[in-house]
Amino acid sequence: MTDWSRRAAAGIAFVLLLAIPAAAQTGQPAAAVKAPVVSDTGSLGGPRQPIFFRHDIHAGEYKIPCQYCHFSVAIASEPGIPSVQTCFGCHLMVGGSTPAHEAEIQKVRDAWSNETPPAWVRVHTLPAFVHFPHMRHIKALGANACTTCHGNVREMPQVRQVSTLTMGWCVSCHVQKQVTRDCSVCHY
Amino acid sequence: MSEGMNRRRFLSVLGVTGGGAAALGACGVGSEPAQKLIPYLIQPEDQVPGTATLFATTCRECPAGCGLHAKTREGRVIKLEGNRESPINHGRLCARGQAALEGVYNPDRVTTPLARTAQGTLEPISWDNALQRLGDHVKEARGKGIAFVTGHEAGVFGELVDEWTRGVGGRHVAYEPFAFEALREGNRLAFGIPAVPWYGIAGASYILSFGADFLDTWLSPVEYQRAFSRAHSFDASRGEAEAMAKFVFVGPRMSLTGMNADEWIPAAPGTEGLLALAMAEVIVRERLGASVDVGPVRDLLGRHTPDAVAGAVGIDAEAIARLAREFAKAGRGIALAGGIPAHYPNGAEIVAAVNILNYVVGAVGKTVQFGPNSSVDMASSFKEMVDLVADMQAGKVALLLVQGANPGHSLSSFMQAWSKVGFKVCFATMLDETASAADLVLPDLHPLEQWNDARPRAGVFALQQPVMQRVWPDARQAGDVLLALAGKSDTFKDYLQSHWRAAHARAGHAKSFDDVWNEALQHGGVYTDAGSQSVRLAPTAGHIMAGAPAAPAFDGNTGDPVLVAFPSAALYDGRGADKPWLQELPDPVSKIAWHAWVEVHPETAHKWGVVDGDYVLLTSPFGAVRAPVSVTPGIRPDVVAVPTGQGHTALGRYAKGRSFNAFDLLSGAANGYGGRTFAVRVAVTRTRDHRFLASSAGDPRDVGPGEEIIRVLPLARAQQLKPGDHPFLQREAPEYAEPALEGWAEEQRKKANLGDYAGPHPRWAMAIDLSSCTGCSACVTACYAENNIATVGEDLFVRHRQMSWMRIERYWRGGEGGEPVRGVVTPMLCQHCEQAPCEPVCPVYAAYHTPDGLNAQVYNRCVGTRYCANNCAYKVRYFNWYNFAEVGGEHEAWPAPLDWQLNPDVTVREKGVMEKCTFCVQRIRGAQHKARLENRVVHDGDITPACAQSCPSEAIVFGDLHNETSRVAQLAADPRGYHVLQELNTKSGITYLARVVHGEEA
Amino acid sequence: MTMTPTTAPERTTSRVTYDVVTRTIARTLGNPGRGYYLLLGTAVGLFAFGVICLLYLLRYGLGMAGYSMPTYWAIYITCFVFWVGIAHSGTLISAILFLFRSGWRTAVYRVAEIMTVFAVMTAGLFPLIHIGRQWFFYWLVPYPNERGLWPNFKSPLVWDEFAIGTYFTVSTCFLIMGLIPDIAAVRDVATGWRRKLYTLTAIGWRGTNEQWRHYRPAYLYLAALATPLVLSVHSVVSWDFAMAQVPAWHETLFAPYFVAGAIYSGCAMVITLLVPLRKLFRLEQLVTVHHFENLAKLCLLTGMIVCYAYSIENFVAWYGGPTPERQAFWYRAFGRFWWGGWTMNICNAFLPWLLWFKRVRTNITALFVIAFFVNLGMWMERFVIIAVHLAGEPFAPFVRAGYNATWADWGIMAGSFGWFFMWFLLFVKNFPSVSVAEVKEELPPPRRAAGKHA
Repeated sequence: MTDWSRRAAAGIAFVLLLAIPAAAQTGQPAAAVKAPVVSDTGSLGGPRQPIFFRHDIHAGEYKIPCQYCHFSVAIASEPGIPSVQTCFGCHLMVGGSTPAHEAEIQKVRDAWSNETPPAWVRVHTLPAFVHFPHMRHIKALGANACTTCHGNVREMPQVRQVSTLTMGWCVSCHVQKQVTRDCSVCHY
Repeated sequence: MSEGMNRRRFLSVLGVTGGGAAALGACGVGSEPAQKLIPYLIQPEDQVPGTATLFATTCRECPAGCGLHAKTREGRVIKLEGNRESPINHGRLCARGQAALEGVYNPDRVTTPLARTAQGTLEPISWDNALQRLGDHVKEARGKGIAFVTGHEAGVFGELVDEWTRGVGGRHVAYEPFAFEALREGNRLAFGIPAVPWYGIAGASYILSFGADFLDTWLSPVEYQRAFSRAHSFDASRGEAEAMAKFVFVGPRMSLTGMNADEWIPAAPGTEGLLALAMAEVIVRERLGASVDVGPVRDLLGRHTPDAVAGAVGIDAEAIARLAREFAKAGRGIALAGGIPAHYPNGAEIVAAVNILNYVVGAVGKTVQFGPNSSVDMASSFKEMVDLVADMQAGKVALLLVQGANPGHSLSSFMQAWSKVGFKVCFATMLDETASAADLVLPDLHPLEQWNDARPRAGVFALQQPVMQRVWPDARQAGDVLLALAGKSDTFKDYLQSHWRAAHARAGHAKSFDDVWNEALQHGGVYTDAGSQSVRLAPTAGHIMAGAPAAPAFDGNTGDPVLVAFPSAALYDGRGADKPWLQELPDPVSKIAWHAWVEVHPETAHKWGVVDGDYVLLTSPFGAVRAPVSVTPGIRPDVVAVPTGQGHTALGRYAKGRSFNAFDLLSGAANGYGGRTFAVRVAVTRTRDHRFLASSAGDPRDVGPGEEIIRVLPLARAQQLKPGDHPFLQREAPEYAEPALEGWAEEQRKKANLGDYAGPHPRWAMAIDLSSCTGCSACVTACYAENNIATVGEDLFVRHRQMSWMRIERYWRGGEGGEPVRGVVTPMLCQHCEQAPCEPVCPVYAAYHTPDGLNAQVYNRCVGTRYCANNCAYKVRYFNWYNFAEVGGEHEAWPAPLDWQLNPDVTVREKGVMEKCTFCVQRIRGAQHKARLENRVVHDGDITPACAQSCPSEAIVFGDLHNETSRVAQLAADPRGYHVLQELNTKSGITYLARVVHGEEA
Repeated sequence: MTMTPTTAPERTTSRVTYDVVTRTIARTLGNPGRGYYLLLGTAVGLFAFGVICLLYLLRYGLGMAGYSMPTYWAIYITCFVFWVGIAHSGTLISAILFLFRSGWRTAVYRVAEIMTVFAVMTAGLFPLIHIGRQWFFYWLVPYPNERGLWPNFKSPLVWDEFAIGTYFTVSTCFLIMGLIPDIAAVRDVATGWRRKLYTLTAIGWRGTNEQWRHYRPAYLYLAALATPLVLSVHSVVSWDFAMAQVPAWHETLFAPYFVAGAIYSGCAMVITLLVPLRKLFRLEQLVTVHHFENLAKLCLLTGMIVCYAYSIENFVAWYGGPTPERQAFWYRAFGRFWWGGWTMNICNAFLPWLLWFKRVRTNITALFVIAFFVNLGMWMERFVIIAVHLAGEPFAPFVRAGYNATWADWGIMAGSFGWFFMWFLLFVKNFPSVSVAEVKEELPPPRRAAGKHA
């Protein structure tokens, strides 16, 4: 992969981004969220990530829809982790307002130029014997249903697990919604 | 499994009590998911996480060249399925094809260039160094003799090798242990055309095979099996005469093919040709055949009347005449010659004789067509190989390169001459016998990682593309290396494309090359029809079989039994031995896995005083081996048979050191027609040793004929059946009890009709047509591949602990009192009973009934009481005796990178839980998800379980029983339909359609 | 089953007085000799070996045992049924015979009872050992949970755990109940730490009329409560098999057949234990030939029932049975495990006929030998029913296979014997193994008995 083509790819992604705000308006809460300034990252819940990626800024303040990065959540069982290209698409231009932000964004750019993707620490984990099809839940609950299980990530500087993700928790919702509780729907 | 009480292990055991307790408590099922998420740098546009991507390519496990669809997930190939568009296999795939996956992920692959050191060991070196050395040796070997040995190559790589060898003044030998010299030579003798024609088995109404094992290994097994089932499976709708072709098998041993015959003629070895000629004689004499000019062979036929040959063949003249008349009267008959008879000293003459039979009956040009010829004749003859060995011996070969062939295993004289060669280079994926003796080993790419093409038969251009990133980045394709050696800058892909571009130019296509190329990539190749050419009998045809009709002389002492070495259905010539799936696949006939055996007729065994598992010493003029006896009625009393494929001294952990190598018994000299003879007389000596055969069948004394399991109908009766008849439907309860039973069942249904069970649901079910099923066992391996089934290894297999959810049961019938021996087979898998015995006894609801009628098994709920397995009458539930997923464990089934083949949609089971066939529930759920996203219902045919998908004879049909229009619902109502162990009132979800046979026996 | 010679006491214990009784029994609690420690050592050793085998099983999986498809149950379940069976005669002798007021039981019922309790303790372990994921055994117990998951009450295995649980609780209470007066009795003659122990465990028993007045009915009720268990528990165990459709399992006959077999093996085990115990502790005066003869009679009765059961199940298979049923019994007799079938027939069905002769019934040695073989035979019966009939399961002929037990099977089985005898030996050395109070009941009260220890 030559440097040139990487830039080209990034450029395309950036063009895409220009289209975002319009898309972003639809179905988003009207009240504009202002991401707080985080001085003490130690006080934040959830595991510390190699890059201090702030969902509250991206999804909250800038109202980037979840599916811009988690691209396959509506069509596949896996939500999809954004490739570094996706990040770089914007951060080719967006450099950050504060020194702190610049430092983090620099990491993204290094990741891109060194071709070493960051190793994100997994926050939400299910045992291997459970099959959770994301698309079915998006299909049933709508594009903004993410919060049902993942909490209001739009206000999380650092993502933490809000639901227990235990079977009891799953079942309780399936009971409420009166959808199947057949074991072999998730366990096979 | 003996427990060495070594200290570390002992401590590790005690560890369980202490810290282990917590770990045990935490034991879920299967491996825990990754704790780190590493994103792509750039998301590949053809990959959607959690969704499979298919790539079309070509199978290279045998010369047949079937089309493949490689199913990849997150960039890793996890399953191989047939390419529906391929004119060879039409979307079907055999066990060996499926197992190619374990070739690319084999834990013992060569990962880096290796060079022989002064100490004689192979040590890793860099590619630059390797290429340097190779280049130097090529330079200095020029003129002193350079030879390149490859496997059968009917494609651009073969041409590159030819080009390269021409360039350096060397020669190219394409070595196949089972080449088809006899076919080529036989056809030359008969028609003057040294080619292998196309056989239209599908359209035949009478199939006569002179040893051709077209269901196991002969030419193109998948293609022929599909064709065979079209011709031979019972189909009342085709009308009285056409309902089902008759199949007669002539040969010394009942192979998988022979087992499917309506009549087995165990002619004396080598007399098959005489039989064919005698039949031809009858047809000509009685004017039953086509009006063709038989001038060249009139005298020949005159010498071979039934009476003249009867003695030698060992069949009375009447029977021969009967066969001849049946064959001729059937109209579209076809006679095939091949397999072991084509490897007798007189193999070519046998083939020629059978061709004459085809000719006089008028099959040539109809069911046998020259034109769309097979490409198997592109392999060199055995003679060329023998000549090469002679030159090597004589020191006339300075540089030897080997790629895609393993003569070190199949030809001992080759290895004796080996040391005389100046410098030996192997392009290898595995350190096989040849590679491990080489001076320089270059890691080759597995066919699934390669660019290449193949031409299975004239008119079919199959393309081969990499379906994933190479597993070992340091491996390089032999083609690239050759081009680099030749100082060319372009890669083998460029070379391949240039050839296709040239061909495209020649064809003068309307479309641009790129379009053609991309379409070829999508469809797996370019498929055209080659016109057929008409042929006439050649004068040479009359000169075969000179002298009095008699069986040929085999090497060895007269009086000793004749040993035939046949290609193993799973391991073929040994190239499959490094794949645990194939090692664990029971042989379709003997049902033995993980080791080789010698087949002996019961009478002979009694005479010798040997039983199953007794070791005998087989001594031929060329070598001796020790082999465990497997007593089987499917063989002539004066013949013994051994499979090839085992007995490797290298080739990785799964192949090395397993029983014996059948090739050691065979002559290394070429016979009259330049082929290799696979029959020899052996002296048999009993030894004291004994072993338990690793057989998936129980003790023959206990197994019996399995009448309750497999129903057989004579053709006559099958034809009388009208829709609505149910000859096998026996009353499950006395008449007076029926209403009560039904009422009870109804009440149960009402009671159960709550929550998830309320409302309409599908009832997933299956129909298996035993008149199509041949027992080839492709479904078994497909099931292993799809469902992450662990291979347990020989020790556990002997203890009957294999996990094969789908097993092929084989029962012998007849044999006593002169009645014909018949082997019958059936797939046995979970029957998904409506009233399942396994469900009520499970104390924790791990085995339970789903609303859509599956017997689900919830692995993570199962505590392993095994009560369900006891109560299952079909015995199709399998228990995890060990943790087969334990990394580094004694019974680890998927040592890295084999674990890459695991299907992410299926849980890897943990020790202590029960597992069984799920009807591929993951595919059912997948189809349901897809349908839901598309706002539609699941259609019939959306779901195909792995077994049904692979089945070359299309015997398995899956679908919703509640949908009257579905195929499975219609088949379930077929008059031939029955449920196994119906009397238990399990209301099983699998309907078997009775096997139909010509003749009276039922 | 009234088979109680009311004239027993006079005959048996004429020369025995209250005093003798107390002394004899107290003597059994004296400091143990080398022999005892040797026995105890062996028992503990066996137990330890069993534990190590179990650890292997836990670490590497059930593959360590000899299972092979289709023999999914074998030695462990055999041992389970065997030990449950052993447990049975205990309650029979102590509770039912108590209700029948048969005097002869007094001398032997304590041994029978402790045998019961420890046998159930042993039996209870096997279902836990034999399951694939032993660490999830508690999933068989119903307990409320957020998943809304419950055990399957249709499954006989769940019935089992209730049956065994109840049986263990009741028989333990019953044992302790009976012990209290005796502990008090030996407390009065004991010294040192034992005295402390007995003082504690006698929970203030002084043998006052008041206490006796409450004690008797309570004991009676417990006996009444225990009685039905004798029949129910092993019936439930038998349903583990009778409820399944495996040929030769699926028989309505099984419940009575198993109960009889259980009591049969139990009595045999009582004899096997009592003979050496009697010698060791010199209890000849208390436990007399007469007692053994009665036990023998009990064996004879139940033995005859078992004999009948064997013949009837074979007859039914031949007379009415469908083909698989016939094949199963043919396999038992002439299949590859013929030896198992014939061992059980000879030991359980033919041997007891000897007991018709009084000379045999009254010959302790003969009884001991017969009892031993009955134990062997009953173990083999369970092995045949479980392992052999699974190996020869006629429905799926293709997979019928052999079965070879491994060291893990035998090791854990040996461990179970070690575990059982460990408890047994510890008990008999520390608590009265013959009921003081009840033996005394059978005696003429002492003449000049002014406030001597009761």
